[in-house]
Order: sequence, then C-alpha cells, then structure tokens
Amino acid sequence: MHTITRRRAFIGIMSLALLASACGSDSSSATTTAGGATATTAADGSSDLSATLNASGATFPKTFYEEAIAGFTEANTGVTINYAGGGSGKGRQDLADQIVDFAGTDGTIKDADLPGFKGGDVLYFPTVVAPITVSYNLGVDGLQLSPATIAKIFQREITNWNDAAIAAENPEATLPDQAITVVHRSDSSGTTGNFTKFLDKSVGPDNGGIWKLGTDSTVEWSADTQAGDGNGGVADVVASTKGAIGYVDLADATDAGLKFAAIQNKAGKFVEATLEGASSAAAGAEIKDNLTYSAIWAEGDASYPITAQTWIIAYAKQTDAAKADALKAFIKYVLTDGQTLAPTVDYAPLPADLATKAIAQLDSLVVG
Amino acid sequence: MTATLPGSPPQHPDDLAHQLEGSGDVADRSFRSLAYVAGGLVLVVLGLITWTMASRSSDALSHMGLDFFTTKRWSPPNRVYGILSFIWGTVYTSVIALTLAVPISLGIALYITQVAPLWLKRSMIYIIDLLAVVPSVVFGLWGVLVLSRHITGFYGWLSSTFDGWPVLGTIFGSNPQGRSFFTAGLILSVMITPIVVSLAREVIETTPQTEKEAALALGATRWEMIRGAIIPHSKGGLVGAVMLGLGRAMGETIAVALVIGSATGQITLNALAPGNSMPAVITAEWGEADTLKKSALIAMAMTLFVMTIVVNMIATTVVNRSMKKSRGGA
Amino acid sequence: MSLTVDLHGKRSWRMMKSHFMVGLMFLAFLVILVPLVAVIGTVVAKGAGIVFRDFPDWFTKSIPIRSRAKGPGMGPAIVGTVVITAAASLLAIPLGILGAVYLHEYGQQSKPARVIRFLANVMTGVPSIVMGLFIYVVFTLRFGLSGLGGALALACLMLPVVIRSTEEMLRLVPGHLREASYALGTRKGRTILTVVLPAALPGVVSGCLLAIARAAGETAPLLFTIGIVNSTNWNVFSGPNTSLSYQIFRNATDPRAGAQERGWGAAFTLVAITFLFTVLARVITARYQRRRG
Repeated sequence: MHTITRRRAFIGIMSLALLASACGSDSSSATTTAGGATATTAADGSSDLSATLNASGATFPKTFYEEAIAGFTEANTGVTINYAGGGSGKGRQDLADQIVDFAGTDGTIKDADLPGFKGGDVLYFPTVVAPITVSYNLGVDGLQLSPATIAKIFQREITNWNDAAIAAENPEATLPDQAITVVHRSDSSGTTGNFTKFLDKSVGPDNGGIWKLGTDSTVEWSADTQAGDGNGGVADVVASTKGAIGYVDLADATDAGLKFAAIQNKAGKFVEATLEGASSAAAGAEIKDNLTYSAIWAEGDASYPITAQTWIIAYAKQTDAAKADALKAFIKYVLTDGQTLAPTVDYAPLPADLATKAIAQLDSLVVG
Repeated sequence: MTATLPGSPPQHPDDLAHQLEGSGDVADRSFRSLAYVAGGLVLVVLGLITWTMASRSSDALSHMGLDFFTTKRWSPPNRVYGILSFIWGTVYTSVIALTLAVPISLGIALYITQVAPLWLKRSMIYIIDLLAVVPSVVFGLWGVLVLSRHITGFYGWLSSTFDGWPVLGTIFGSNPQGRSFFTAGLILSVMITPIVVSLAREVIETTPQTEKEAALALGATRWEMIRGAIIPHSKGGLVGAVMLGLGRAMGETIAVALVIGSATGQITLNALAPGNSMPAVITAEWGEADTLKKSALIAMAMTLFVMTIVVNMIATTVVNRSMKKSRGGA
Repeated sequence: MSLTVDLHGKRSWRMMKSHFMVGLMFLAFLVILVPLVAVIGTVVAKGAGIVFRDFPDWFTKSIPIRSRAKGPGMGPAIVGTVVITAAASLLAIPLGILGAVYLHEYGQQSKPARVIRFLANVMTGVPSIVMGLFIYVVFTLRFGLSGLGGALALACLMLPVVIRSTEEMLRLVPGHLREASYALGTRKGRTILTVVLPAALPGVVSGCLLAIARAAGETAPLLFTIGIVNSTNWNVFSGPNTSLSYQIFRNATDPRAGAQERGWGAAFTLVAITFLFTVLARVITARYQRRRG
C-alpha cells in the first residue's frame, strides 16, 4: 500500500507541474498587457495617486533622484518609482522603445535619433545642476589642472604624475613618480558627453586643437585606459587604483571619499568643484525654448567650468491617466520641494526662473 | 534472471513492450508523444537560438562586412563596430585560465582517483563540488572588491621581476592593473577547475584495472603507473575535458565583466593590462544600444555562441569516443 | 599492453620521484582550497553580520531607494530569486525528465535520439548570456520586462542539465524491474510512470536540486529580461522584478559603503541558498545509495 500511494503522489506532482507550466505560458500574455498602474480618480490631491513608474537613465543625478523618490513616495504611498540608472544613453533608448515611463538624461536627443521615439514629442524638464569633478587617487591635496593638461592626460600624452605640465600648474605640490591610470565610462553617458564637451569647447579644434577626441556620449579612448560602469563604477575604480584619474559627479566623488582637482575656468581662475561654482555657471546659461541649455565652460570668475545640467524626459502625450498624474506630481515635487533637498546630497538647485518655466511646462504633459 | 515461459524464445523486454504498445490505449500513446515532444524541444530551442541570432545580426554584419571580425575599432557613435579586440580578450583570458587550471585540475583528479583513501576521496570530491556551486557573480564580487585591490602589489612584483625577460617580460608587462586580463583569467581558472576535475575523474576511472595492476606488478611506482598506464589510456578524454573547460571559460560573463577592466580596443600580450571580452561588452553596452548597435551586439553573441558550440562539439565527440573505446576495449 | 616508462633506474630514486609527484598532486588540491576558503570566508565574514544584524528586516524589508543609505532590505531580491527560479524549475524539470524518458526509454540508440543526446550535451555549453539575449529577442521585446522572461532563460539553461542527469539515473534502473512490469501486462507508458521513474526518483531529485542551485545563482540571463525594482513583486508574470544575483552585480560596482554591505549580504544569502540545495541533493543521494546497499 505504502509504495502505491507514493507512486500516485509522484504522478500527481508530475501532472501538476506540467499543468502549471502550461498555464504559465497562457496567462503571461494576458497579464502583461494589464500594465502596472491602477486607474484612480484624476483628483488633484496627490495622496490619491496610485501608479508604478518605471524609469532609467543618467547616473549623474541618480543620488538626487533616489533622495527625491524616497521623499515623494513617503508622502504618496500609492506610488512606486523604479529608477534603474544605466546611463543617459540607456535612458534615451528605453524611452524611445517605450520600455520606461520617463528617463533621466544629461544630454539632449540627437536630431537623427528623434524618429526613433515611438511615442511622439518629448518634453525636457531640467531638474538640477552639479559639478563634474576630476577626481584622482594620489597623496597630493589641492591639485590644480588646466583644460589643456586634462586633455593631455585623458589622451595619454601625459602618463606620469611628475610630468612637467602638471608640475607647472602645481608649484607647491611634491608630485610623485607614479604612472597615471585614466578611468572613463564603459556605458554611454551624459557625464562623458559633458566632460568631453568641456574639453572640446576649451581646448578643442577651435581653440588650439589639443583635444582631438571630439564630444559624444562615448568617445574613442586610448586602448590603455580603464572603464567603470556608471558614475559609481568610475568612482570605485579611482578609489581602488593608485594613480588613477577620472571624471565623476560631485555626489559620487564625495560619497567615495575621493580628492578632486580645482579646474581652470574660462576666466582663467582655478575653481573648486562646489555647488556655488555650479550655481554661478548655471545662472548665466542661455535657455532655449524647449528648456535645454548648457552650463559647460560658462563665463564668470566663480563659475566651475565643468558644470553639468540634467533633465527628466517624458512623452508629451501620455497614454495612462494614473501614470500621467503620478509623473506630473513627481516632477512638480522635484522642481519644488526637491530643490531644497538637492544641496543636502551635493546638487545645486536650478536658477529660480528656470524652475518656474519648467513647472509651467507641466501643463503640456497631457493624456491623449 | 530473465524469466521466460517454457517453449518460447527468450525475449528482450523492449520487444515485449513494443508488442504491448501496438495495442496501446490513448493514455499510453499520449504519454509517449509527450516524451517525444520533450526530447524534440532541445532541437527546437537550439534551432530557434541559431535562427534568431542569425536573423538579428544580419544588419550589423552587412553594415560592417568582414571588418566586423578583423578590425578592432569599436565606435558606436560613428557606427563602426569591429570586435577583434573583444575576441582577443575572450581568447586570452580563457588561455590564461586554462594554463593555470589544467595542471591543478589534472593533479587533483589523479590524486582523488589514484592516491586518496576512500574517506579523503569523498571529502575532496565534496569540496570541489562546493566550488562548482558558488555563483559566478559571487566570484565577481570577491574579485572586484577584494582580489583586484590586494593583488596589485604582487602584479607590481611580477612586472618588475620579469622585466626584460623574453616571454615572461611581455606577459607580465608594464603598468600592471588590478583589473586586467590576468585577474579575469585567475578567477576563471578557479571557476573551471571543478568541471575539468569531475570530467577528468570520469575519464581516468575508465582505465582498466588490469593495465594499472600490470604496471604495478612490473615494479612501477605509483607515478610510473600513472604515466605509463593512465595517461596514455585517457589522453583523448582528458583533452576533451580540458576543452569543455575552455568552452565554459569563453562563455563566462559576469565575473569577467567585473574584473577585466573594460578597456576597448586593447590587443596586447601584456596580461596585466586591462581589456575586454565579448560577454562583458554585451553586458555593459546592451541597455543603451540603438537598433544597429543591438544588432552588432547580437552578432557578437552569435560569434561567441558559434565559438563555444564548436569547442563543445569537438570536446563532446572526443570524450564520447574515448569513453566508448575504453568501454569496448575493457 | 606496453609500458612507456623506463623501469631500469634506481628504485629509491624512482620512489622519491613518485612521492614528489604525488606530493605535487596534493599541493594542487591545497592550491585550489585557497580561493575557495578566501571567497567563502569573505562572504561569510562580511555578509553574515549584515544579514543577521537586522534580523528579520533583511528578509522582509524593501531595498532602500537611497543606495547611499546603510541598512537592510533584500526582501524583494529574495522573493524574486525564489519565484523566478521556481517558475524556471516548473518549466524545465518536467520537460527535462520527459526528454530523458524519451532518450532512454523510447529513442534509445536510434539516430534521432543520438542526435538529441549529443545536442543536449552541446546545449549545456551555451553561454548563459546568449540565452538571455535569445529570450530578450523572442520574449521580452513582445511582452516586456518580467520575472517570466528570466525564468524562461533559466529554464533553457536547466533543460539540458536535467535531461542529462535524469538519463544517467534511468540508466541505473535495473532492467528486471521493467520486465516484471511488462510481464504483468502493464503498458510501457504506465511502466515508466509507475515503476521506472519512482525507482530512479531519488537520483532524479538530487540532479534537479543541483540544477536549481545553479540556476538560482545565474545573473547574465536576467540582466536583459527582468529589469529592476526596489519593492517586492510576487507576480512572476507581470512587471519588472529583481534577484539576489542582480543585486550583487549592481552593488559590486558601487563605491558606497552601504551598497557594498548589501552586496555582501546578498552574496551570503545567495550562497546559503545554493549550498542548502546542494547539501539536500547530497543527503538524498547518500540515503539512496545506502538503501541500495
């Protein structure tokens, strides 16, 4: 008797498992179309919001977005926001493919890529500005670097820290005989875009032609350089490699305990990577109608020359009312309460007039 | 033990089954077809993989032509995709892994099968199997947060000690990095050791007892018995075991992606320099890829697929043949 | 047979050489112990504390949205790993066992069976990242990111492993069991289900447990198929998910102390799960062997 019941049980399990696998493939198509959001009354009170927003993109503002998402979802418990990072390039591609509800990007969409955006017109919402640091791992504090020297280092023309060009800019420092390891991004990155834009504007083909790699979200680095994934990845490699130098956003550099250099700006002054320097650079930037602008290589004595801007991008035409409401509320939060949150995690708030323009643009975000 | 009815010729059980099958009821026949379908699934999946990979990679391959395989310039913004340096990274890290893992694995397999007493044999097998179930991402985590940080001193020593030597001077070249071909190879060697050991054990154990005893009877020492009886007997199978390890090393993704250093366009014999491998590039660059770049990455995956499949096919054939030969010969 | 070894040297010298070589072999074993002990040791030393410091928050709480924050929460990744691996097992194990039944009981040494056996062997060597891309193209592009996509990729990896280990076990089932069943007039399908498979069950189960342990630790097939979330998603069929392996990978490149802590904690949890399954498989095999004498 005993063995027979066991056999029965076995057959039962086998058929159950088969049944389960068969059902599995059936119900998949049914449930995935349902989407993540539950529709609610389109009430103004944000506490009624209920939706899951999926997002990816820039890692440069990731620390700030994490802070903002945490703050926003604490107040709106019905909303879940997943910001996956992955780089500006991934964010733009995911939005184009409609895999995400919004994306973070530090660069604008190229005209050639616009037809790829299946959901139509894209709106730019500027969120914060922050310095991109030139971080290094060396027993020397307060290094000063000019754009020309940075360009030569990142093109592997200067390969040792005791090079004469570095010494000339740092007369008081004792520079060790230590090989330089250049660290850049392995993913397609807005930080790379803004960093190379700084070099291209300052010492590019129109200004002496020292920088030859152009500017893009990935450029053709020399083969004997290293790469890290995301701003965090670069910070991690710099932190763990003696003699390394890399470009990292201020929040990640601070969190990783990195030293970073003072950079010579357009006015010829060496400026530390600070939020004041970033605000000063952003203040003078020329804003286009679609709210895109560039704070790189800005005028002004106090301006930090590698100040990067970043946007949340989303389709003007939203398909899901609940998601649209949640998205609007979140962006509004970022542009209001979020602005006071920003300095606590090493980002500078937007100039007030730009924030106002961005809030006004929320009206263009419609369901249809 | 086969019980047969008096008078009837002895029958193979399956012949009997075939007779019963002929009059099979619905349940029996449906179970049979289910089994056939499940068996065929292997063909379907492999066929689908080949077909999707081939059709999806055609864009990039027709865009780049043969340059896809023979050039090392990888510049997505300029729509230039040459994967030679990544092929190099995959091959070089695998070769480093094999160089380190093969002698160690064979040593362990020989010790387990020929020397160790039963209790030790059991625990050794157990420990090696433990190594096989450590997930590759855990090796990666350890590799990037511990190994690559603490091994730079040793690399510096290697680099300066062998400076100027003919071959070793090139392999342990200048400017050593914690994340490099060699670190990736080191991690891979640990990961493939359990596979090579367990296959090598199987192969070695097919050596007929008589040959081993004959050698010992002639007064051979244990090592001479291994060299004279076991090695010649299992050479083919051991080559197959090593090749299966190679296939595994080439396809390994996550651990390598974390420790290889992600340097594009690097083709060098300097094992202490950072590089990149095909699976690592796919991991890092898939998310942001537009249509053409996705096609290029799939073409890269197909290259990897073909390389590993070829290595595996050869290995499987070699192992099967040597096992069959030894079974037949015994 | 012919010995290729020269036996004419001095015996003591030859013995010394033999001892030396055997010593080297044992040394090889000690060498491989170094990374094993180092990896497991570090994972336990750095991870166990993280997991149990905030017991049971580690298992129940969401992953902190602020990655710089220290503290627990790996609940969503544990749930993700469990549901994704379970779904993959439900797909791969029945099909794998049936495939093995086809190979050993029906196909045997016929041409198609030999081809399938060969290809199943080859399929075990398909890189996991290729499986991930494959499922991305045929599934994720159409149905979006979900646990099921990851489960399908893992199932493709498990299928040949289950087929191979099950066929090994079917081979060990003595022929007289089948004969006895046939002699009673039982049909072949019923014989397989009620006699052959139950006889092989312990071996099959232990093979499947090992396959599950391996699948639970895979990362590459999940990278493109499941997305990422910070909160628990029990629904394997819809919405992005996450897994322990993915969280380890993500935190491995994050310089922040809090993130790295969670990486080690997740590694400890994952290693504990895979070891648990491995040990379970061992115990079942050992019992089985003892029973068979």
